[in-house]
Amino acid sequence: MVLSRRRIVQVLGGVTMASLTGAGKAQFWFAPSLTYPAIKVGNVNSLKNNDPVYFNYPDARSQGILVKLGRPAIGGVGRDRDIVAFSAACTHMGCGVQYKGGRFLCPCHYTMFDPAKAAAVYQGLASTGLPQIQLGVAQNGDIFARAVNGLIWGRVKNI
Amino acid sequence: MSNIGRRDALPIPPTNAEVKNTVCQYCTVGCGYKVYTWPVGSQGGLAANQNAFGVDLRNPQNPLGGLVYTETMHSIVTRRDGRQYHVVIVPANDSPINYKRDHSSRGATNAIATWSDARATKERLKYPLLRLGDQFQVITWDEALTILAGVAKGIRDKDGNDDNIAVKAFDHGGSGAGFENNWGVGSLFFKGFSVKHIAIHNRPAYNSEVWGSRERGVHELNYDAIDARVADTIVLWGANPYETASVFYTEHMQPNIQGATLEEKQKNFSKGEPAEAGYLIVIDPRRISSLTIAETIAKERTLHLRPNLGTDYILANAIARVMWERKYYDQKFLQTRTDMAKFEEYKEKSLKAATPYAQFMADVERITGVKRADIEKAADWIAKPKAGGFARRTLTIYEKGIIWNMKNYDQVAAIVQMAVLGNNVGRAGTGCGRLGGHQEGYVRPSSPTPGSIYNGGPPVNVDKYLTDGKGKLYWVIGTNPYLSTPNSQYFRKRIRERTKALSDFLGQAGEPGPTQELVAKILEGLDATGGLFMVVQDLYLTHTAQDAHLVLPASAWGEANQTSVNCNSRLLRLYEKFMDPPGEAKQDWEICKLMGLKMAELYRAEGKEKEAARFEFGKNWRTDEDVFLDGGNSYPNNAIPASEEATLPAECYKGVTYAFLRQVGQQGIRTPVRIENGKPVGTLRRYSVKFGTKDGKFSWYATDDWEGYPAEVAKYLEGDMAQKYPFWMTTGRAQAVWQTMYNDRFLPEKTSLLPMPYVEISPQDAQRLGLKNGDLAQVWNEEGNATFVVMVTDSVSPGLIFTMMFHHLGSANNLTPGYTDPKTTIPWYKGTRVAIRKIRGSLPDLQDTTSFLQQNKFD
Ligand code: SF4
Ligand code: FES
Repeated sequence: MVLSRRRIVQVLGGVTMASLTGAGKAQFWFAPSLTYPAIKVGNVNSLKNNDPVYFNYPDARSQGILVKLGRPAIGGVGRDRDIVAFSAACTHMGCGVQYKGGRFLCPCHYTMFDPAKAAAVYQGLASTGLPQIQLGVAQNGDIFARAVNGLIWGRVKNI
Repeated sequence: MSNIGRRDALPIPPTNAEVKNTVCQYCTVGCGYKVYTWPVGSQGGLAANQNAFGVDLRNPQNPLGGLVYTETMHSIVTRRDGRQYHVVIVPANDSPINYKRDHSSRGATNAIATWSDARATKERLKYPLLRLGDQFQVITWDEALTILAGVAKGIRDKDGNDDNIAVKAFDHGGSGAGFENNWGVGSLFFKGFSVKHIAIHNRPAYNSEVWGSRERGVHELNYDAIDARVADTIVLWGANPYETASVFYTEHMQPNIQGATLEEKQKNFSKGEPAEAGYLIVIDPRRISSLTIAETIAKERTLHLRPNLGTDYILANAIARVMWERKYYDQKFLQTRTDMAKFEEYKEKSLKAATPYAQFMADVERITGVKRADIEKAADWIAKPKAGGFARRTLTIYEKGIIWNMKNYDQVAAIVQMAVLGNNVGRAGTGCGRLGGHQEGYVRPSSPTPGSIYNGGPPVNVDKYLTDGKGKLYWVIGTNPYLSTPNSQYFRKRIRERTKALSDFLGQAGEPGPTQELVAKILEGLDATGGLFMVVQDLYLTHTAQDAHLVLPASAWGEANQTSVNCNSRLLRLYEKFMDPPGEAKQDWEICKLMGLKMAELYRAEGKEKEAARFEFGKNWRTDEDVFLDGGNSYPNNAIPASEEATLPAECYKGVTYAFLRQVGQQGIRTPVRIENGKPVGTLRRYSVKFGTKDGKFSWYATDDWEGYPAEVAKYLEGDMAQKYPFWMTTGRAQAVWQTMYNDRFLPEKTSLLPMPYVEISPQDAQRLGLKNGDLAQVWNEEGNATFVVMVTDSVSPGLIFTMMFHHLGSANNLTPGYTDPKTTIPWYKGTRVAIRKIRGSLPDLQDTTSFLQQNKFD
């Protein structure tokens, strides 16, 4: 999404308060605030609609799901802006979500996330959407994971 | 990429962070939480001995049990010392309610809902506001209370009574209320003043929503959460816990339906008694998520009955009739524990034992629209003895679909009678009561208001009293009737008219400057204009407050020590203070105390010592605990044996101190509390020995026959009106938000999910009306209008729509009728007739950013 000027000011307003006063080791920045690796997770030409691909990101202990939705999505890449990726750990209590019927569903307490709407929680107990993995596409169609927008469940810091 | 700011690292509480116990401020479930606060500028480390969690943060947490610390569980607040503090509020790991640190999307935002001038919650009220020159101007507490006491005293001195003083106040637990604030409010209006025209939060009168059960001898909070885990069958009647009591569903009902509680069942059952995975009966006009999740788990163990709106009590009586026919009752229990003389009347009028069974069932099918076979199946699942002749254990839970149904009294009575006929109260795995909405914390001096029609009532409809032009002072505390009262569009217009009449009068030649002259002018204006002087005491400048003359800032959850019980275990705990209120906001009890002292001062100045003394109820209250103990002392003697627990008020906590509550922490104590050997003991489950009546016997009641709909709704079913308003409308809540969204409306995490109130419509009706997901629709009838965003879903059947009850951008109550049950003055919030149309054009931004996926589809 394109941030309007007004919204940028709002976002920065929030950040200044936290970062100026957070004089300790950590700065409490909005995501992505850390340095993430770029890792190849697929290629636009090999993705089929609604056929998810699993990968690990930003490290071996965190699973991500890459999926081509066949409909435009917030943060989507590719020609149709329909390729998105998210952390697969449910933001409620950490179970692995499933991509099923065009949405993410957690089998533990049935939270459901809308992949086209930044994995917003449209039903259930989780308090935030699944962290969205920022994607980039190279000339040859390779898809790279570049950062995580949101806290991966079970961590106090993504990396 | 996301439509709200996200985080990818959170601060870690250092080992010297302050740790407090608390309970979620929101729903009835009362999940336990822990609060960590420490000054900004430091943080803890990853190793378990380097942080206040005592948890190794070097490795990711284990799902379902590990530390839960999500992005919404941290914020930074400023205390009165001017310094900034981190606040981390995470689910407790030692709560008997939210096992494994379970929590919902509502409770998870406890931290970001705290007040801060640097975040969206900067909208909190800090100082008293007075409408002067038709604008709010900041004043001091002393000035505010001098004006308010002057006006109140002027009115009561002239009238010689308090009839023209009308009040609408919360009476709940959690949410910054609790025993302390209820005792404060009650003391002011019942000990100081003697206010008859008082109403309870959203309702138009001072009443119970469950007199139909209480007058049978069954208080509505009688079961424990464990009963949901060990019940053979759970009945959810007009209750959708997955969305409104989420953790009660996920930790206590869902495992039972999944068959994950068999061991616990065996432990609680008799020797040789069969135990299997639980059955679920949902009685609701909608395919609610609490049903469809269970269907996903085990379709064959779920049953859905969809009675026509308002006919539930007929259905409950029919299920009971089947139980009677099939002898699913224990004659000995009926004879020893219930009033058999009254039972004959129940049998004749409610069960219609004299009407041949086939004819009776045909009548019921016609009225309720529920098939005889389904009614019989429900009776089997509720009360048919298990193999070996063991009585089935059924927990029946009802909520707004019943209490806010038409004929409130009879609806509630019919359901509890069905439960007691099957001996399903007072044993493990049984119970019949409310799911609850908010937590409870009711302790008040006795009120000058009556009970149900069977106890001197019904109570006065205060909304009607005010809209009819009566009353002079209207004091609204911790509730927003402009959204929440039934028939709110009419109410709002009338109150605005009356408050404005007074404002206009005051403003004619400029408001007088000196306080006493202003008070005199207000009193003069009230008589001259038939206007209303409105005072609103709340956290925010609510919709109602915007029309007030005087606004008093109240403190919220976490800004003081408070106590409440949850509804599913009556678990009393201490909610510890962890931050200061904004500006000069005060606890409700303190505002009431100060108002009392101000009244006393005015009376004493006139030498009226007796009147002055009445208002000094709070002169010894210095701390939250002083108020808690003062309220606790009002309960009857509770040094009585366990077998007598039924004689105690459900929330009795006499003998409990803050020190005791600190010691028991999250384990709390279950009310009613008794004193044994000088120590407080709790009550796990109620009515195992006696019911709460004078003779200890369950008191049967003969419900009314089906008489059709009340005039306020029946008008829509005739002739032209039936064509014009072709839909039934029912209303309810949404998972993500709490009540009127008083906090949520300021949190982008919430408003981005639910930017507008929504309407659910069936695919068939949507197609016919040309409505798609994300369209806007207007819904209207003769009562009012409201605009909703459309969600197409099979949750509702053709001919019925569902609308979100409250949203800060609109309320379904604009359309609800003014009808109240003549026996209780409880409104029918949940049903009326409406028309619906598509609003031309669309809002692409809304459609692009909001999810319209079906909320009840889990397969
Ligand atoms: S289920 Fe209720 S009490 Fe528990 S966290 Fe959610 S809102 Fe709070
Ligand atoms: S862990 Fe996913 S819904 Fe609870």
